[in-house]
Amino acid sequence: MSWAEFWVILIGCSITILACRVLPMLLLKGRELPAWASRALGLIPAAAFAALVANDLFAPGMFEAGFWPAAIPLLVACIVVLVALRTRSLLWSAVTGVAAYALLLLI
Amino acid sequence: MPSRAHVAQAFRAAVPVMLGYVAIGIPCGILCDSIGLNALQALLMSCVFYSGAGQFMIPNMYLAGAPAASIIASVSFVNARQMLYSAYFAPYAATASKRLALFFAATVTDESYGVSVAKFEEGDWSIDRALMVNLFSQSSWAISNAVGVLVGSAIGIPLDIAAFAMTSIFICLLVTQKLTSANIVAAVAAMLGVLLCKAVGLSGPAILIGAVSGVAVAMAYEAMRARWGGKHELG
Repeated sequence: MSWAEFWVILIGCSITILACRVLPMLLLKGRELPAWASRALGLIPAAAFAALVANDLFAPGMFEAGFWPAAIPLLVACIVVLVALRTRSLLWSAVTGVAAYALLLLI
Repeated sequence: MPSRAHVAQAFRAAVPVMLGYVAIGIPCGILCDSIGLNALQALLMSCVFYSGAGQFMIPNMYLAGAPAASIIASVSFVNARQMLYSAYFAPYAATASKRLALFFAATVTDESYGVSVAKFEEGDWSIDRALMVNLFSQSSWAISNAVGVLVGSAIGIPLDIAAFAMTSIFICLLVTQKLTSANIVAAVAAMLGVLLCKAVGLSGPAILIGAVSGVAVAMAYEAMRARWGGKHELG
């Protein structure tokens, strides 16, 4: 990639992500929000985390390459759920997830 | 200036994300090296653009021969979900200065968003600490990226295993949400939304569409429940 291409892509991608990151804060900060809007904002974490997890774990045709390659991440995810509920720790969840995944791939 | 106690609290909160960013930042740097980016370019990208998913997409699409315009469009589409995070934090930033709030909003990622959501919901948290979580995370990401470019493929990190650190962080954040029925409806609907998007080939905006539909379905569910009597656990 040349420097010219690099600048075009960097600036193009940065402008749109900066707009998405900053504009809602700029527009909503300091406003008295109607009750329904606050409730909607309160629902964002559960919906966003669920969407991120689903995006990482599921893909159409994921079982086509065989059962285990697709089942291992799901199995590891179940283990992480148990650890997360027990410890409520991001660090333990991440360490468990990576270690369990590496172990199951080795077996 | 933030107090030393706040810096320490922010650092402790950021550690899981910082370690995760080392694990995926180095492979990302290796990928950048493979399309001829140097360490300075990787560093610039992490400082100005700062998006894990985006910085993986750019070299991948470039390798696949995509033109710059289509790379920018796809990356922007994927990153549009950031607007939800920004909106979520707006009420928490009510008393912060505008400059601090905007600086904070400009440096949020999926992972640092998650950490600050958990902290704000616990109570004792503030935008200055949340901003420091972002900056600690960003430093870790930027340095790991540059290191990845410098070491090239001299060290092999299996990316699917490293990336599971992030998946695990999202799983932990999801299952430690309050177990209200509205949250459960939102989570299930969001997951179905993502699956549906991917099934019809809309994998770029799948997270955004999934999350928005999760919120919408849960709002409809709450409205219905309020209408038909059961006013027990609203919220």
